[in-house]
Amino acid sequence: MENEKNNPIFSVSDFIALTNQTLEYAYPRVAIEGEVASFKINQGKYVFFDLKDKQGSIGCFMMAWQLRMPIEDGMKLVVVAVPKLTQWGKFSLTVQAIRLSGEGSLKKSFELLKAKLDKEGLFALERKRSLPRIPGRVGVISSTQAAGYADFIKILNDRWGGMTIEVAHVQVQGTEAPDQMIRALKYFNEQELPPDVVVIVRGGGSADDLSAFNDELLVREVAASRVPTLVGVGHEVDESLVDLVADVAAATPSNAAQMLVPDRTEIIHRIRNVQLVGAVRAVELHSKNLRHHIDQAMQRASQRAEYEITTLLRTLVEKQRLVAQFDPARVLSRGYALLRGEVRVGNEIEIETQEAIIKAEVTKYDKK
Amino acid sequence: MTKNDPVDVTSKIAQFDELVEWFQSEEFAIEQAVDKLRAADTLATEIEQQLTAIKNDITVLKQKFDQA
Repeated sequence: MENEKNNPIFSVSDFIALTNQTLEYAYPRVAIEGEVASFKINQGKYVFFDLKDKQGSIGCFMMAWQLRMPIEDGMKLVVVAVPKLTQWGKFSLTVQAIRLSGEGSLKKSFELLKAKLDKEGLFALERKRSLPRIPGRVGVISSTQAAGYADFIKILNDRWGGMTIEVAHVQVQGTEAPDQMIRALKYFNEQELPPDVVVIVRGGGSADDLSAFNDELLVREVAASRVPTLVGVGHEVDESLVDLVADVAAATPSNAAQMLVPDRTEIIHRIRNVQLVGAVRAVELHSKNLRHHIDQAMQRASQRAEYEITTLLRTLVEKQRLVAQFDPARVLSRGYALLRGEVRVGNEIEIETQEAIIKAEVTKYDKK
Repeated sequence: MTKNDPVDVTSKIAQFDELVEWFQSEEFAIEQAVDKLRAADTLATEIEQQLTAIKNDITVLKQKFDQA
């Protein structure tokens, strides 16, 4: 470097290096909002686009793997970038992170990514796994300062106990949030004894607040989780891609707690007032039926005995009548006489009538 | 298994369910009903006590997730 009239003379590359040093010192990291133009990806690796507003335009560069959501011309972005002068003297922003800005951009990007992941089958119903009926170990990914987390824990504690719950405290909004949630998910999945279920919870917020849950890498990480996943993000009306890819999606953090465990109050009520009462009623019913059965048997036995006695009595009467018909007194009453003794001429015989017993002598005997 | 072991509670609930199902089954026999009813009542009391008592063990991990 030489002095010429007190002005330093630089080589081109030195000047570029000095400019970059100055820029790095003055603006180590800048966040700039603008609209995307001339978006392109070269060789599947390098992303180029211009960020513009009404008065100006700046070239941006980033690596394709840093791109966490679909970008199209016309979308509004906030880029976090390092300003840089390239060796060809072109000023550009080396983008480190991007965040969609504005509802239209968020919606457009959401739809594009949803269609892409749906085409890959990530949201297919056959991929969904059931949650354990009652988990023993639960991994929770949330911000411990978030209202949604407090709701989730309160309802979980109210409904069920005895679980070991490990909470990974992470950011649940902002550009850092997806990576933190990915790390937490990896942490739970890599445990020697992983939890029975991983729950991701966050309360409601604006579309921008919830955009972390539409991050492509996070969605893919949830899809790849070997531990079943339950997601309860936002309110009933909110739908995120993490909701779609999770094994089970709850409408809210509170709903996630309701879906995760049964309600002990309901179980106690069921056991005491439904099942136990039902068992007692079953015994009562069986006893009643048994009593009825015994009563009927007794009645049948009584009827049978009565029938048998009546039949016997009837038979007895008939026999009595028959015996009565053969009663000699009856024959005598009809005018006949009963003769006793050997009927031979000269023998004395006895003749009995109804009124008298007569002694007589046989004077003649003629055979008929 | 401890008194507040959730596995113990869930197994007791399963045992209770099985016990009360017997009352509706064809295996029901009035001679055994009173003993079974007593056993179900005892189980119900134990389940109620355990369900009311057990608490969750919540730990916020010391592990930081803000750096790769």
